[in-house]
Amino acid sequence: MKLWKKKEFEEVEYEPRSVRETLTEMKDISEVIVDLAYAAVLFNSGEIAEEVRLLEVEMDKLKYQLQMTVMLGTRTTEDAEQLSGVLQVANATEHISNAAGDIVSLLKTHMKAPILPSVLKEGDEIISFIRVPEALKGVRIEELYDSVSAGLRVLAVKRGKRWFYDPDDEMPLRGNDRIVVSGIDEDLAELKKYLGGRA
Amino acid sequence: MKELREIDRRLLEFKESAELMVDLAYSSLLYDNRVIAREVDVLETIMDREQNALERLAVEEVREGGSVDRALVYIRLINALETIGDAAREIADVELRDMDVHPVFQMSVKDSERTITAAIISPTSGFREKTLKELDLPKEYGMWVIAVKRGKRWIYGPGADVKIMAGDWVIASGPPDMEDEFVEAAGRKVEWDTEDE
Repeated sequence: MKLWKKKEFEEVEYEPRSVRETLTEMKDISEVIVDLAYAAVLFNSGEIAEEVRLLEVEMDKLKYQLQMTVMLGTRTTEDAEQLSGVLQVANATEHISNAAGDIVSLLKTHMKAPILPSVLKEGDEIISFIRVPEALKGVRIEELYDSVSAGLRVLAVKRGKRWFYDPDDEMPLRGNDRIVVSGIDEDLAELKKYLGGRA
Repeated sequence: MKELREIDRRLLEFKESAELMVDLAYSSLLYDNRVIAREVDVLETIMDREQNALERLAVEEVREGGSVDRALVYIRLINALETIGDAAREIADVELRDMDVHPVFQMSVKDSERTITAAIISPTSGFREKTLKELDLPKEYGMWVIAVKRGKRWIYGPGADVKIMAGDWVIASGPPDMEDEFVEAAGRKVEWDTEDE
């Protein structure tokens, strides 16, 4: 059984977390999950799709968490008015993550040749799968942003069989890592050159 | 850009519109700005219409001998993108109803991996009299321009050929650690207390 299936209806218990923390996490997930969904379709990757499912499940749990925190924190009618707006936003982020789940479901259709890449590869911001040259040592992700372009975003790192999603900026890359990066066309080309030069 | 088929070209615009709407919706709440929230509502109506048109195009391709699976993939993607547009409309709804947003919302947007910022272009700014293409803000600052306000006029999701002028308000999204540098290069931060509609 897939991990996300196991976690799908996991029990939700109250955890003492702030509204701020949970809402931020939901907003962040709603953004990275859509990009990962496009990446899954682009690279026909069941593994990335799996991560999208996991994030979707995580999102459902966060929504419960937020609802509980908000209920406990509501004292006055003013609180209730203001916090219902927060719940409305949180619900919307959850709807976005559902849409990402719908996008990765496209992988299940019986298409012999992928058709969406032609669409997803155009546009201002595109997603690319780049192999880090074997000889490269110790370049942190943030160095890529500083040296190549602040507009790049490393969505995931694949190291051997392991995936790291939404990695920390301080994470050092290793030779043979494969990275899923979003950015504009020229920046991605420059990134490849930079990685080659550092190897 | 390469030559795209009509359906692909319009689907791409549809996708970019959905993404813009989410950014605009957050901006409307962050700056308590009803004008931006109304734009999200307008874009959502346009998206609904476009959804219908795109789905028809996908189905017509089947009638002309195209693959059923292919049409299904298109229709499902169109639907997913429309869900994202709807979600943006749900966020903007809070502003449209004139609800007071809890201050925690602003904090969350500022804590996010991608934050939203607004700057006024100063008369001495290096951004002045340059097109967005020339400025290449995504590359220089990691910032994507969501909207530009010029006088009373708003330009939502401005294209690469839009020229930035002194006095413009520029709303952009990008990494929080680039915010100060971006605002400084642009001019100064927008004070939103004096919102005019």
